[in-house]
Amino acid sequence: MNRKRKLLFTIVRSLVAILIALLVATVLIFISTPGATFRIRIDATFEALREMLAGPVFRFSKKNGMVFEGKRLADIFAAMIPTIFTGLSVCVMFSANQFNLGAEGGIMLGAFVSAMAAIYLPLLAGLHAVVAVLLGGVATALVMLLPALLKAKLDVSEMVCSLMLNYIIMYIIKFLMNFYLADKSRGTIQSFPFRESSAIAPIVNNPVFSGAKLTWGFIIALVAVLVCGLFMYRSRWGYTIRMIGINKDFAKYSGMKVGMIIVLAQLIGGFLAGTGGGIEMLGRYNAFAWNALPGYGWAGITIAILAGNNPYMVPLAAFFMAYLSKGCDLMATYAKVPSQLISIIQVVIFLLFSAEQFLSAYRQKLVVETAQEELALAQAQKEGV
Amino acid sequence: MHNFLKLLLTPEFFFSILRISAPIIFATLAAVVVEKAGFANIGLEGLMMFSALSGSLASYYSHSWFWGLLAALATGIIMSLVMGFFAFQLKTDIILVGIAINMMGSGGTLFLCKVITNLTEGKAMASTTGLITRSLCIPDIKIPILNSIPFLGSVLSGHNLLTYLAFILVALTSLILYKTPLGLNIRSVGENADAASSVGVSVLRVKYIAMAFSGLMSGFGGAFMSMAYAQGWSQDMVSGRGFIALAAQAMGGGECLGGMLSAIMFGFAQALGIKFSAIGMDSNLASPIPYAVTIIGLVVFALIRISRAKKRRSAALVKEEGRLLGQGQA
Repeated sequence: MNRKRKLLFTIVRSLVAILIALLVATVLIFISTPGATFRIRIDATFEALREMLAGPVFRFSKKNGMVFEGKRLADIFAAMIPTIFTGLSVCVMFSANQFNLGAEGGIMLGAFVSAMAAIYLPLLAGLHAVVAVLLGGVATALVMLLPALLKAKLDVSEMVCSLMLNYIIMYIIKFLMNFYLADKSRGTIQSFPFRESSAIAPIVNNPVFSGAKLTWGFIIALVAVLVCGLFMYRSRWGYTIRMIGINKDFAKYSGMKVGMIIVLAQLIGGFLAGTGGGIEMLGRYNAFAWNALPGYGWAGITIAILAGNNPYMVPLAAFFMAYLSKGCDLMATYAKVPSQLISIIQVVIFLLFSAEQFLSAYRQKLVVETAQEELALAQAQKEGV
Repeated sequence: MHNFLKLLLTPEFFFSILRISAPIIFATLAAVVVEKAGFANIGLEGLMMFSALSGSLASYYSHSWFWGLLAALATGIIMSLVMGFFAFQLKTDIILVGIAINMMGSGGTLFLCKVITNLTEGKAMASTTGLITRSLCIPDIKIPILNSIPFLGSVLSGHNLLTYLAFILVALTSLILYKTPLGLNIRSVGENADAASSVGVSVLRVKYIAMAFSGLMSGFGGAFMSMAYAQGWSQDMVSGRGFIALAAQAMGGGECLGGMLSAIMFGFAQALGIKFSAIGMDSNLASPIPYAVTIIGLVVFALIRISRAKKRRSAALVKEEGRLLGQGQA
């Protein structure tokens, strides 16, 4: 297939997948909306759908109709920060066929370590945030060494190991918070406030984003996307990572250090997840108060699948997911449909995107068309000679 | 320390080990059979969550634990078949299908629970714990003669129906795998699908059967969680048991009996954790024990496997040398 047809296929396939997911969502919304008559419920369903699909950037009111809401858009961008990082993290690890699911615990660990550095390390403003976030990233990378080394040396399933680590990380952080680090003067369990020097500056003086929480973390996330993309597609290690994912044995027999690269991929994945946690924590909060896994790791897996493990596509996928998630929240507020609908929509899209045979008949048709054209071209050239 | 040991060596402690192990055993059997058929179902966690929810809801609406159990089993089977459809027909990576089911297991169950029951405890929380009464749970069984033996009686008798079933199913699954044509088919598909196909085994059918079996076991596990272990469903109540089962399968060498023993080991770790928090240790420090034991267990298992492989190789080498020497002398 030529490039144009490939692109066409990708776009059609994505759209169909999203459409099916929305169809499923519509049915579920219809079932879950209250209402006495069929007519009322149909209306309620459409209202909920409108809130979900357009709500994230527009506000509806009887008086003004549809009004663009810059603040909500900024909220979506802000929500993308942690998931871009976990998405990249999963991209790198899945590219090497390492199904490490530790991004979930990793982002919590990174957030925790960065928070501690923000509280207890006295440093200059500017430098402080950088050091704190890097410490979070390094700590998570070091923890990810465990599943990585066990996989490379002993062939222990990195998936099971990383899943177990998620729980261990969560409980140990909760333990440390409860016993040593909590600010006892507060009603809830939370740490002491961060030093002011550790805050990540917001993007200010922008009329579109005024009043919204959007920090430089967003720009850093986009830079991370670029670096990650360059690494995966323009560096030797990145090439090796992708090659191991495609064919491990081939990579091994052509002299690549498979074990080393398996460890490396998970180290990088851990570092990215941890960094994301740190940036999210310092950018959004002023004290550490997470008492459960935040769910960004799982979102990162969906994003990586939507992006086809291509780092450059991660922001787009992250935007899509953040948009949907915001839409579901709004829908829950205004239309009384539980916001957990997002997890069902997410899974439907996830499954259809990762299904190789989804719309395979259509792809086959495109392949045949391309082949016929090529044949016709060859024939014409022959006759021309 | 002495007192603590005294606390441990009670019949209640051993009783609780068996009770805690039961759902892990169900899930482990699912993992074992699927692995024998040559693939991995990491969606056990999500399947158990859905089964747990549907079981508790069905028993509430039908006023009978029996229908609840059936609903849980049906949910497990149907969802596993859907997973199979995506994996085998649409060629989605089976690991991704599993991840998807697990992702849905946490939020999707809560969505369904809220929609079906219209219950909201507070703003975010919802559970069916308020709906399920003792009589809607799966009953405990006192075994007549065993019951009267002093120590053993209170360890082995009085368990839940499903706890006994878990251990019976270990034997049954082993029988199915090794003594029936179906078991032979499952194992041959797992060993070499092409060879199995060439002698007329329908690989797809066998894979679907293995998948449905794992769904059935997850159904038992889920029903146990919401109708025996706890009264009613709450979000994320399975808390990693499906994942621990994957580890138990690996540690048990992929066999039913070994898997069961590993599952009991995790049950022991968890029971120990509960005891630790009972004597005043922070529960957040006791809770990760089973997960840590899982990782350690996997490492130990891997080390054993590697050393065995080495021994076998060196034994083969010695034999080969002996043969060569023999040839030289001749």
